[in-house]
Amino acid sequence: MSARTHKLINRPDAIVAEMLEGFCAAYSDIVQLTGDRLITRAQPKAQGKVALVIGNGSGHEPAMVGWVGPGLFDVNIAGEIFTAPGPQRIVEGIRAADCGGGVLVCVSHHAGDRLNAELALELCEAEGIDNVELVILYDDISSAPKGQEAERRGTAGLFFVWKLLGAFCEGDCDLAAAKALAEKVRDNTRSLAMSLSSCASPITGEVMFEMAADEMEIGMGLHGEVGMGRQKSLSADATIDLMLPPILEDLPFAAGDEVLVLLNNSGSLTLMELFILYRRVAQRLAEAGITVYRAWLDAYATTQEMAGFALSLCRVDEQLKALWDAPANGAYMKQLPPDAKDS
Amino acid sequence: MHDLTAKDLADLIKRMAGRVLAEREMLNRLDAATGDGDHGSSISGALALAVQKIGALAEPSPQDIWLTTAKALLNGMGGASGAIFGTFFLKGAAKLKDVERISQADMAALLAAGLAGVQARGRAQVGDKTMVDALAPAVAAFAAAADFPSAWRAAADAAATGAESTRDMLARQGRAKYLGERAIGHADPGATTIALMFAAAAEPSP
Repeated sequence: MSARTHKLINRPDAIVAEMLEGFCAAYSDIVQLTGDRLITRAQPKAQGKVALVIGNGSGHEPAMVGWVGPGLFDVNIAGEIFTAPGPQRIVEGIRAADCGGGVLVCVSHHAGDRLNAELALELCEAEGIDNVELVILYDDISSAPKGQEAERRGTAGLFFVWKLLGAFCEGDCDLAAAKALAEKVRDNTRSLAMSLSSCASPITGEVMFEMAADEMEIGMGLHGEVGMGRQKSLSADATIDLMLPPILEDLPFAAGDEVLVLLNNSGSLTLMELFILYRRVAQRLAEAGITVYRAWLDAYATTQEMAGFALSLCRVDEQLKALWDAPANGAYMKQLPPDAKDS
Repeated sequence: MHDLTAKDLADLIKRMAGRVLAEREMLNRLDAATGDGDHGSSISGALALAVQKIGALAEPSPQDIWLTTAKALLNGMGGASGAIFGTFFLKGAAKLKDVERISQADMAALLAAGLAGVQARGRAQVGDKTMVDALAPAVAAFAAAADFPSAWRAAADAAATGAESTRDMLARQGRAKYLGERAIGHADPGATTIALMFAAAAEPSP
């Protein structure tokens, strides 16, 4: 399938700066642009709370700029397109986020994100900034086998970590507890992605990889790296029938479990398709005796105009359900307070 | 050949930057095969930034040259490559404290410290299809040579051979590791960049 290569941009080297300028102008009640491409909350968190920071390559919007705000992140450090920000910029993000309760630097596991965050923590130590911790997060079952979970990549399922951890850090927790909660959500989350098309790099204007019009591929990360399992395109139901069982087996999710479900649109899928896909997910989960607590169907983390989706499940207990229901107000992640929903 | 001074190191970085810039499009194409196709642009940009920052230093020491290069790569490039290439110069810079003139043995120790840092940071071994496949043999060849010119020449040859050897490897680190067998047939862009940098070092000083 040929990808659209003409993008409505001005200059490749100005994409990130101009995108952030527009984003922060549009949502000035929630975010502000400070320092060197730091997206911070318009109203900082109260003193003494644990602050949450994440750096990431740009080009995956609304991740992660759309996730700064009450109940979510404190600071996002936007890197160049598909490129993690360097260590000095992460340190600046940590300084901007710090409100006295410690700073948790969240890493969606890719080599660049991990290496730069590790370097940033070494710089913090050298500069006497203490009470900073790193948490490495991953969820993609296609990127390393079971038993080697720590080798896996971070993909769309980290959506659940951000939402639940964000809510947790609005409360009175310490840094160690925040890190433990992030790891708890991570260890209960599994994802698998598929794609029907490639996408064009906004920098080079070139299609990032070739795919035939009648092919689909299962097991693909956020950057368009070639994954595993290319095959003839299937129907919605047959696609879910192929993707859901390995997710369920990996954790494993079992009868009696309660889960949150995400169907993440990686770019140009339609909501119509997501709804049809979710219909089958709900049927199969019901057959397996697994209860869906809440589902979320939207474009949370994209890879440009790639046509595909990720299916993510997160097993929840009473604590995590309460954190899911807690209010959030990012530009692209909103959750009403429970009392507002009752009225 | 005499020991190297700060001025010689600044010339060295400038030659490396020029050589990588000249091959920018080739490196982008190599990266497009296994990554997002911007390695040549991003590393040539970061090295150009290093040359610019070094040019702005007043009477820099050898350590200033190497540290400025490290910071330009770390912060001007970002991503895994920025962290790895930056770490190479950062760990080398630690060996240059209070050093004014650099002998071949000093340079060999500096390169070895850089390599050790890269391997510790990236967790990569020879054979993983990374820049280590060019850097490790280059560092060994440099240390084994009799004098500076032959050391740079031997290192450049070893780096070129090492970079070429990545063509038939499966990637075990970095983004390309998720490609599996599809990465076979493409040389690693980071290893190729290392080969270009040592080739530039082996050119006669202007």
